[in-house]
Amino acid sequence: MFDFGILTNWIHTQLTSVMSEGLAIFLECVIIGVLLLLLYVIIAIIMIYMERKVCAAFQCRLGPTRVGPWGSVQVICDVFKMLTKEIITIRHSDKFLYNLAPYIVILASVMAFACIPISRGLEILDFNVGVLFFMAASSIGIVGILLAGWSSNSKYSLIGAMRSGAQMISYELSVGLSILTIVVLTDTMQFSEIVMRQADGWFIFKGHIPAVIAFVIYLIAGNAEVNRGPFDLPEAESELTAGYHTEYSGMHFGLFYVAEFVNLFIISSIAATIFLGGWMPLHIPGLDGFNAVMDAIPGFIWFFAKAFFIVWLLMWIKWTFPRLRIDQILTLEWKYLVPIGLLNLLLMVIVVVFKLHF
Amino acid sequence: MDNTIDIKDRIAAMEPSAVWSDAGDGMFRVPVSSFRGLAEKLHNEGFDFLRSLTGIDWGEDGLGCVYHLENTATGENIVLGTADPDRENACLPSVHDLWKGANFNEREAYDFFGIKFIGHPDLRRFFLRDDWKGYPLRKDYDMSLNPLNMENEGNEDMAPSYEMTSDGSYILKRHPLFDDQEYVINIGPQHPATHGVLRFRVSLEGETIKKIDVHSGYIHRGIEKLCESCTYPQTLGFTDRLDYLGAMQNRHALCACIEKAMGLEVSERIQYIRTIMDELQRIDSHLLFIACLCQDMGALEVFFLGFRDREKVLDILEQTTGGRLIQTYNTIGGVQADIHPEFVKKTKEFIRYMRPKLKEYDDIFTGNIIARNRLIGTGVLSREDAISFGATGGTGRASGWACDVRKRHPYAMYGKVDFKEITFTEGDCFARYMVRIKEIEQSLNIIEQLIDNIPDGEYQMKVKPVIKLPAGSWYTAVEGSRGEFGVFLESRGDKSPYRLKFRSTGLPLVSCIDTIARDAKIADLIAIGGTLDYVVPDIDR
Amino acid sequence: MINYIKGLFKGLWSLLVGLKVTFREFFTRKITEQYPENRSTLKMNERFCGELTMPHDENGNNRCIACGLCQMACPNGSIRITSEMVTDPDTGKQKKHLVKYEYDLGSCMFCHLCVNACPHHAIEFSTGFEHAVFTRSKLIKTLNKQ
Repeated sequence: MFDFGILTNWIHTQLTSVMSEGLAIFLECVIIGVLLLLLYVIIAIIMIYMERKVCAAFQCRLGPTRVGPWGSVQVICDVFKMLTKEIITIRHSDKFLYNLAPYIVILASVMAFACIPISRGLEILDFNVGVLFFMAASSIGIVGILLAGWSSNSKYSLIGAMRSGAQMISYELSVGLSILTIVVLTDTMQFSEIVMRQADGWFIFKGHIPAVIAFVIYLIAGNAEVNRGPFDLPEAESELTAGYHTEYSGMHFGLFYVAEFVNLFIISSIAATIFLGGWMPLHIPGLDGFNAVMDAIPGFIWFFAKAFFIVWLLMWIKWTFPRLRIDQILTLEWKYLVPIGLLNLLLMVIVVVFKLHF
Repeated sequence: MDNTIDIKDRIAAMEPSAVWSDAGDGMFRVPVSSFRGLAEKLHNEGFDFLRSLTGIDWGEDGLGCVYHLENTATGENIVLGTADPDRENACLPSVHDLWKGANFNEREAYDFFGIKFIGHPDLRRFFLRDDWKGYPLRKDYDMSLNPLNMENEGNEDMAPSYEMTSDGSYILKRHPLFDDQEYVINIGPQHPATHGVLRFRVSLEGETIKKIDVHSGYIHRGIEKLCESCTYPQTLGFTDRLDYLGAMQNRHALCACIEKAMGLEVSERIQYIRTIMDELQRIDSHLLFIACLCQDMGALEVFFLGFRDREKVLDILEQTTGGRLIQTYNTIGGVQADIHPEFVKKTKEFIRYMRPKLKEYDDIFTGNIIARNRLIGTGVLSREDAISFGATGGTGRASGWACDVRKRHPYAMYGKVDFKEITFTEGDCFARYMVRIKEIEQSLNIIEQLIDNIPDGEYQMKVKPVIKLPAGSWYTAVEGSRGEFGVFLESRGDKSPYRLKFRSTGLPLVSCIDTIARDAKIADLIAIGGTLDYVVPDIDR
Repeated sequence: MINYIKGLFKGLWSLLVGLKVTFREFFTRKITEQYPENRSTLKMNERFCGELTMPHDENGNNRCIACGLCQMACPNGSIRITSEMVTDPDTGKQKKHLVKYEYDLGSCMFCHLCVNACPHHAIEFSTGFEHAVFTRSKLIKTLNKQ
């Protein structure tokens, strides 16, 4: 497995040989920041294209076909359209908060995005409480959504924002509990370390029953966390037209839109990282030839394949089910997911204490 | 109308001043002073269903209303007419407390004829703007009074009502609709879930609905007024544009009404074709109902499944009629064209195709735990309310009221085919949904019984080029896709109708929304609106 | 407690059944019609009423006798007929002759009354459906060849 750490270290030594260490680190930060944002945008474009194609396939349609082969340039055209649109400011809105809100949402999304280990040595934010940092960073997004709803001076937006507040804060609990279940199994909170521990088998296999339950809970709660159907109440288009971003236009709306799709990717890639081994190839103990072939496939391909598979799963769910009602969403969380998650955590502790895992 | 003699005697006993007038279907003309008393007596006798309330300008006789009543227990029908000769200040007693469905209908009559209904709690205009001048369906209305108004329309927040005082005069009172502190949100007129330009002003407490105020008329086209200046064949074209998902049935009703007035019997072949077409249209409408309900609830997959299957029905219809939505098929005394040579084959193919597809809907939506949780127990409409509001069609049947016109007053071939009237007792959203699913099956059954036996014969009877109806009034109803669609026709012997009223299937459905959506959530309102299955052009006419 | 667990699994099962339907749909052939790519193969039903036309024979003659019945039958006044009186050279009788048959597609409601009223089958509905134009005046068509 190729370690990108060698490459990054080599760049670092080259830079320090011509400049002071502080300047080199500053330069590296700038380069990484630019690359991160670039990747963010690329992922967003891929996600939007995928959403349109996959949802079309589920609905007996073809999806975009006109611009570019199989409509592949469609999203890029949409981005340019969005960029050229006027940003309309609403009368009687709280201008400062109104303009600030989309940036808070995108900031939270980028910070969470930076936590994802893409391949060996390709981790941007990677420290010993990485899981905690990820949870904290991704929760900032709620503030942005609440602010957007509040400052728009629209009743629809306000209802949407209130719904999302209730929903996202509740579901964070389940996301945390299911990640915690895996943390119990790994005894580390560092994402790169979590991946390394899965070299001899992904946690969904190693942790068997409690890991599978945690995985399902994580998928449900994660789906709700990013406001995707069937949990898309904050922007339920048939009830609130567009929920908290009803009054946004142009690139401000674009930021919400992009953040929503990348958040879906983040949730999926975290699922891939902690349950499906991240960039770690599929290894079957005893089959050395098979393992060698698997190792030949680069880590980032493994990672993206797993992440996009989970994205596809979530899209499949979104395009199948009707939307829940606000009280049912909270019932599902507090009467089903949280108790089951707690029991599952207990089960995992028992499994770990008695070494029942593989 | 078999028991007219019996009813005549009973009415005479109840109210000696009621006069039987024989023209057309016939009706009892009651003086205004004794109308309210008679209405109360009839209501107590079991006439609990107000089929239709039609405002009429009777010229010299004044402004009045025609009430079509039905006793749901015995199936007896009765027609009452009453008029106030004082054209300037026409007042009729309101019957909104006897039949809840009268509420919106009286507002409509006030809107178009300026009849003041004494005791009505909320006599605002219903379809027209609050600043409209004059009453357009009166025969002496001056068209030039209302040039195109580009001003914004204000919201009338005070509901006027006219109440009788002890000395016989009446006073105008005003009641506020909403308190100052209420959180009132507009759902519509442009809203994805109102299925057209309908507007609800919804008072909310958190997510819970406290009160709904229905605003209608955004696409009112004045079809009833238009019809008064059209010849009878020309009026047909408008029916397709009322409830566009019941184009066949609407037109069937009007054609049947005119044929009844002409005394024309159509051939059996025409009856067969009309029945099959009505049922195909019903399947089309119910599929769209499922599709739109699911879309409103967020299950977009089913939306496309519904449209995919509906396309097959439309293809069959288009092949014979030449139109997909606006079919212009029924004509007075027949149909526009004979069925297409491939019609029988295609229809049978469709029946074979559709049956297994129903299972797919069951799998993906009916059985789905989320859908069930959202639909079961929400928006319960009791049987009494359904009858009182006149909420016919799937909505009424879901509440346990066997209100199918096809069974109550069989027309065309419905008396001779074997089908089950689907009724549920729950009256909630899920029952309303299930009624439609089951009715698709029944419609397929009906078509299957008829499709192989279409007899030979003319598809268009000989009709004079200029049609004049004798003086009189007639009422004909068919079971539309979403309830009883009635046509009330009053003729003065001309080649165009004196008054043509379409009993909207959607208006009673919308009128009950305030009752059943109270204390529900916003999301429930969407589900309730979806399952009531109203079509706005049909309400607005 | 039993009900809780039973409800949980029953609910999960119903969701899986739904997922099965969409999964099958994912791999089913799509039904989208790709207009205008399929323009050459797209055939409308022969009875489809797209717009009113007046068929002409190979000599450019139509069957219209300018009687005006269609104009009278039209509820919207979409048809305007201009006619003149000409003397038939053979019989010497005065006869109506069609000068211009104007038809406003924009206000037509396809009610078929004109076609039904025509005693000589001079007008009929065609299957053309591509009506989009940029100005309303282009929707007013002259049906007879002059």
